[in-house]
Amino acid sequence: MSTELFFVQLINGIQYGLLLFLIASGLTLVFGVMGILNLAHGSMYMVGAYLVWYFVAVTGSFTASALLSAAIALGLGILIERLLIQRLYNRNHLDQVLLTIGMIFVFNSLQSILWGNDPYGVAVPEALSGSVPFTDNSSYPVYRIFAALICIAIAVALYFVVSKTRLGMLIRAGESNREMVEALGVNIKSLYTIVFAIGVMLAAVSGIIAAPMRSIVPGMGESVLITCFVVVVIGGMGSIKGAFVGALMVGIISTFATVLMPTLSNMIIYIFMILVLLVKPQGLFAK
Amino acid sequence: MANDIILETESLSKHWGGIKALDNISLQFRDRELHGVVGPNGAGKSTLLNMLCGTLNPTSGCIFHKGERIDGMKPWKFVRRGIGRSFQKTNIYAEVTCLENCAVAAQRRFTGSFNLFASRHANKLVREAAEKALCQVGLDRRIHTIAAEISYGEQRQLELAMVLATDPCILLLDEPMAGMGHEESLRIIELLNELKKTYSIVLVEHDMDAIFELSDQLTVLDNGTHLITGTVDQVRNEPQVKEAYLGKEEEEEAA
Amino acid sequence: MIFEKRTERIFLAIFFVVALCIPLFLEDNSFFVGKATTVLILAVFVMSLDFLVGRVGLVTLGHALFYGLGGYLFVILTPEYEAVNFWTYAIYIMAISALIALIVGVVVLRTSGIYFIMITLAISQMAYYFFFDSLEFGGNDGLFIFMKPETSIFGLSFLNLDNPSHFYYLALLAVLVTLLAIKIILRSRFGRIVEASRLNPERTEALGYNIFAFRLISYVIGSTLAAYAGLLFALQYGYVNPQFMTWEMSGTALVMSILGGLGTIYGAILGTLTYEGLQYVFEHMSEDWMLLMGGAIILMVLLLRKGLAGYLEKLLEK
Repeated sequence: MSTELFFVQLINGIQYGLLLFLIASGLTLVFGVMGILNLAHGSMYMVGAYLVWYFVAVTGSFTASALLSAAIALGLGILIERLLIQRLYNRNHLDQVLLTIGMIFVFNSLQSILWGNDPYGVAVPEALSGSVPFTDNSSYPVYRIFAALICIAIAVALYFVVSKTRLGMLIRAGESNREMVEALGVNIKSLYTIVFAIGVMLAAVSGIIAAPMRSIVPGMGESVLITCFVVVVIGGMGSIKGAFVGALMVGIISTFATVLMPTLSNMIIYIFMILVLLVKPQGLFAK
Repeated sequence: MANDIILETESLSKHWGGIKALDNISLQFRDRELHGVVGPNGAGKSTLLNMLCGTLNPTSGCIFHKGERIDGMKPWKFVRRGIGRSFQKTNIYAEVTCLENCAVAAQRRFTGSFNLFASRHANKLVREAAEKALCQVGLDRRIHTIAAEISYGEQRQLELAMVLATDPCILLLDEPMAGMGHEESLRIIELLNELKKTYSIVLVEHDMDAIFELSDQLTVLDNGTHLITGTVDQVRNEPQVKEAYLGKEEEEEAA
Repeated sequence: MIFEKRTERIFLAIFFVVALCIPLFLEDNSFFVGKATTVLILAVFVMSLDFLVGRVGLVTLGHALFYGLGGYLFVILTPEYEAVNFWTYAIYIMAISALIALIVGVVVLRTSGIYFIMITLAISQMAYYFFFDSLEFGGNDGLFIFMKPETSIFGLSFLNLDNPSHFYYLALLAVLVTLLAIKIILRSRFGRIVEASRLNPERTEALGYNIFAFRLISYVIGSTLAAYAGLLFALQYGYVNPQFMTWEMSGTALVMSILGGLGTIYGAILGTLTYEGLQYVFEHMSEDWMLLMGGAIILMVLLLRKGLAGYLEKLLEK
């Protein structure tokens, strides 16, 4: 592999990893704070991608569509938490698994009813459609760099919110002690609603960002969900830092595997995850 | 009439990061003796017990059972050597009957537990041993009651019955009388007085009267360190102990 | 009596009587008999999962790995154009599956809780992609079974697997044997410690049991039963492909078992029948049957706390 190709792949891997982090962060946040394993998290990614595709087709503006889609996702998150998730806090994990599997069914068929089963693509917004010259005879698309920067910006924002704000303090406290948060006079129900809605929005925003880079197809939610599981398990369930490290590892490894050993490329992240769990059965950044 | 040493620790320590939960503890537990362990909260009593039964691995130091080094072994191997323990927080199978609780404990002694076909109810010896243990602690009327439905004090008794049903030679008891009513406590004191004739017992307990009455040897821990070990009278007259522990107790009572 | 609950006895009596009669009345409707056979095979698979998840406490999302393995092993082991003996090969396949389950079990049982769910998922995904990406094993299309095996025992043959009704009875026999096997194991001395390890692992270890060994053996038993179900399924349809091993397959089985009433074993049969029945009805009602199915699942989670078996027991016990 030439140095040039190596760097292109490395950047591809990092960029893919950052996107994975964005999706996985919502999954791990919801699990860490609320103890809920949301199998429908991938569906939210799919919803984001389809919404932005639909609004771009209607309005023509990517920015407006993206903002609108994110707002709708936030509302959807609040709705789901209030209507369904809230009723299951005192039940066991398997009931939550069952409920969220039911939600996958519903979202998949809504997608098929509303938008059909054809694959779609979203055009890269005009302002970001160029390429940056990389070396003499290779270049890198501007939108991919932009997407990576957005992911980094959101990661930084997330870090800031969790470590510096009052909401973040409550989130960190809620992870370790439900009663303590209630003793502080905070309504744990509202906290949970907010956290779940943020989780949903993070997934949808990833779908929005990914839309111009990947094709929008039925079942896109499930494949990304499984990859995200690998990410959060490697990092340690509930740890945002772990999700970040895990996402970059998975992104880089799977990108290089596609080039270097195509026959193993689908299996490699699972093999990697099993190796990690054999050494650290609770993931790299277990609490 | 020194009895044989059955369990021994040598410079046993447990550190959590920089915190020394237990530091450099060397103790000898003798056969057919009740060895009390007291100390204020956070003195390291439960840590000591958890290491003696294998659920915690020591940071440094060794544990010997009948002269053989056993630290680092899996907890279930400790039990097979005859080291049985009760928990400070009630730790039973709440969903099944008291008899079944003790049957789980007793089964290993009489039959193979890897038999996939023979009914669990078929072995008479298991059932008799379980019933005997329940009678010993005074739960004979609760044999067929679901464990979740008996009183808290009775659950403490059941906890003890389960340890007895494993037929141990050393009993590690973590506050067996916590939360018991007066009469239940008296019954347990009487039982322990009986048991120490045949078993070696390590007893962690907050009830001072009980522990003074029962102990042959008494160890005082404070802040993870070993203050003194001796007979009840020796410990009572040790000024260091009064200061570190008994003094505090009196202050608390005065306050 | 290994069937302790009245509800359980009533349900199983009705189920087996009706199930025995189905081919007698529907002799000409081979489509329906075939469909019913599939449901029975699935019930075996779901029962084996219910045992692991509900009784041993091992929540696996990778159970379909062994379902697919049962099918693949048959095609790999048998000559292409020769009818082999079903029972001989069933034993071979179950033995190899048990060995593989033993190895997988040693790895996955190092983890617990949510990590156990994830590592079982990862291993089955790995197997899925292994078969999906391999040319030798037919890739996405899988492998075909050209000759159905013969089923004679000591020269006597009762069943002809090309006859749908005969295959149906073979599947019903599998349901009966699996049910009895699991119930006998649960009642056994082994079952006592398995139950204890699920209710309170810390306590069980403190009573001198190596719970790892009990979990490992249970994992091997559950996985081997799943492999047998997979073998039957592959023989019924004449092929095996990576779709047998998808996580959706494991997930659907989990849904069936929770729906029926987790850990009740007979509930697994009930859950399978209900799920497959609902799917059949919804598919005929609308193209978007998944919406109805999803809605039905959500409603049942919210309304039935202990699954269908729990609901029936509330009505019928005492």
